[in-house]
Amino acid sequence: MAPEPRLGGTAAGRAPVPKPELAEPVTGLPGRLIIVEGIDGSGKSTQLDLLRKWLVNQGYLVIFSEWNSSPIVKSTTRRGKKLQLLSPMSFSLIHAADLASRTYSQIMPALQAGAIVLADRYVYTAYVRDTVRGVNRAWLRRLYSFAVPPTLAFYFDVPLDEAMKRISVGRSELKYYEAGMDLGLSRDPAESFRLFQGLIRREYEQVIGEFGLVRMDATESLVQQQQRMREIVRPHLEGAMRLPNPAAEDPLRVAGLLGHHQAERTGALGPTP
Amino acid sequence: MTAPRFYGEPPPGIASAELPGRLIVIEGTDGVGRSTHVALLKEWLEARGYAVVNTGLRRSSLAGRGIERAKRGNTLDPLTLNLLYATDFWDRMERQILPALRAGMVALVDRYIFSLIARARVRGLSAGWVENLFGFALVPDLVVYLDIDMEHLVPRVLSSTGFDYWESGQDYLPSPDVYRNFVEHQTRLMAEFRRLATQHAFTTVDARGPIPEVFRALCAEIEPVVQSMAMFESMNHEVSDPLKMLA
Repeated sequence: MAPEPRLGGTAAGRAPVPKPELAEPVTGLPGRLIIVEGIDGSGKSTQLDLLRKWLVNQGYLVIFSEWNSSPIVKSTTRRGKKLQLLSPMSFSLIHAADLASRTYSQIMPALQAGAIVLADRYVYTAYVRDTVRGVNRAWLRRLYSFAVPPTLAFYFDVPLDEAMKRISVGRSELKYYEAGMDLGLSRDPAESFRLFQGLIRREYEQVIGEFGLVRMDATESLVQQQQRMREIVRPHLEGAMRLPNPAAEDPLRVAGLLGHHQAERTGALGPTP
Repeated sequence: MTAPRFYGEPPPGIASAELPGRLIVIEGTDGVGRSTHVALLKEWLEARGYAVVNTGLRRSSLAGRGIERAKRGNTLDPLTLNLLYATDFWDRMERQILPALRAGMVALVDRYIFSLIARARVRGLSAGWVENLFGFALVPDLVVYLDIDMEHLVPRVLSSTGFDYWESGQDYLPSPDVYRNFVEHQTRLMAEFRRLATQHAFTTVDARGPIPEVFRALCAEIEPVVQSMAMFESMNHEVSDPLKMLA
């Protein structure tokens, strides 16, 4: 008897499990999730950093989450990249593991508490990169259904030539996967990188329409872009968690104390005699 | 010889050329005796002239060590663990299983996606999500499920490794009682395995009996699957009773 060639069984055949099920989309969390996307050299990280400073300045509690930063997954990714062990599918899976780990240990708890979470690259980066590597679109979207849908997603749109000019990378600086060398587009890392970024940029166009990313003109001046970004973010901030007053200084001042111990602890006074 | 079939969309980078080898999977819960039987079967198949590659969970060069490390920590959620295992599985699929099948070997696999699905399901992961994830797996030529009950499993586990943290579901069950958790977790796992066995028409082998008896039953199931690869049927009869290997 041939096995059933599908993994999706009938609902009736499934054992009952407690709800809610893990990996299904979570919505309605009190925090705000703001993410940026764009090809290398689009200036997205610069803009997100300026946005973060503005938010912190206003007293908001801001958590920053970076692509590929989960301490649990990082060693495996590093190993895969260093030894060039990654195929399109394992590349895809290991990055999904990274976001899953950050979602459950960092992003979701912060959003549940009501904080603002900023992410430099999000699921859309995986969608475009992995699709360019030949991974199935529908499979990818289902894979990432565990990710919290962002409150706002910005796409920094820059012409390929402009982006290349900005990074002006030398051949030796380009890493194997970064340059998309695994796709076999060109033997020259710089040329491969350029072709790879072009394909990614094209796939971003598909994703922007599908998920309603906010398109930013990344050829504008940095300050103009930041002003525009803040205008878009502002209406979404009401009710977001703010940091309580600076912890130590205020009670000291109220009590008329100088804070010797605090200063010693932070090393401001140097070692005690 | 058949064209490769996958549970979902064919993954990228896999040519659709026919695979002359055979993919044989041994599934079953922790401590049921899978690795013992895989070792015996490998020897039995090789004695009959079949080239065998065997592989099992966490043996990939990519993610094997990372999983071990992650399991020692305490911030590991079930979804990340599942994805790390999926990475490990895929890496072995690409580097061990598929090349073996292309070369006309028997790939003898100790645990396949079904163990990973069962573990994910008992920890509350969405069935639809897990099934989509493992759609990249090749449909095996044979999946043997070693079926056991708690009465026979507990003494086997106690006399070998004892109750392991993960095999007792300590990471998700609320009780501090290890024995109770082991029984609860394994009961849930077995229910998942039996559900999968029905859904995917596994060949079930009763694993409650002594090793020689289970081994004989396994050989009887595997024989017809590999036989069609051989040129002469006589080759399969040159080797005497497999049970003599156990002497």
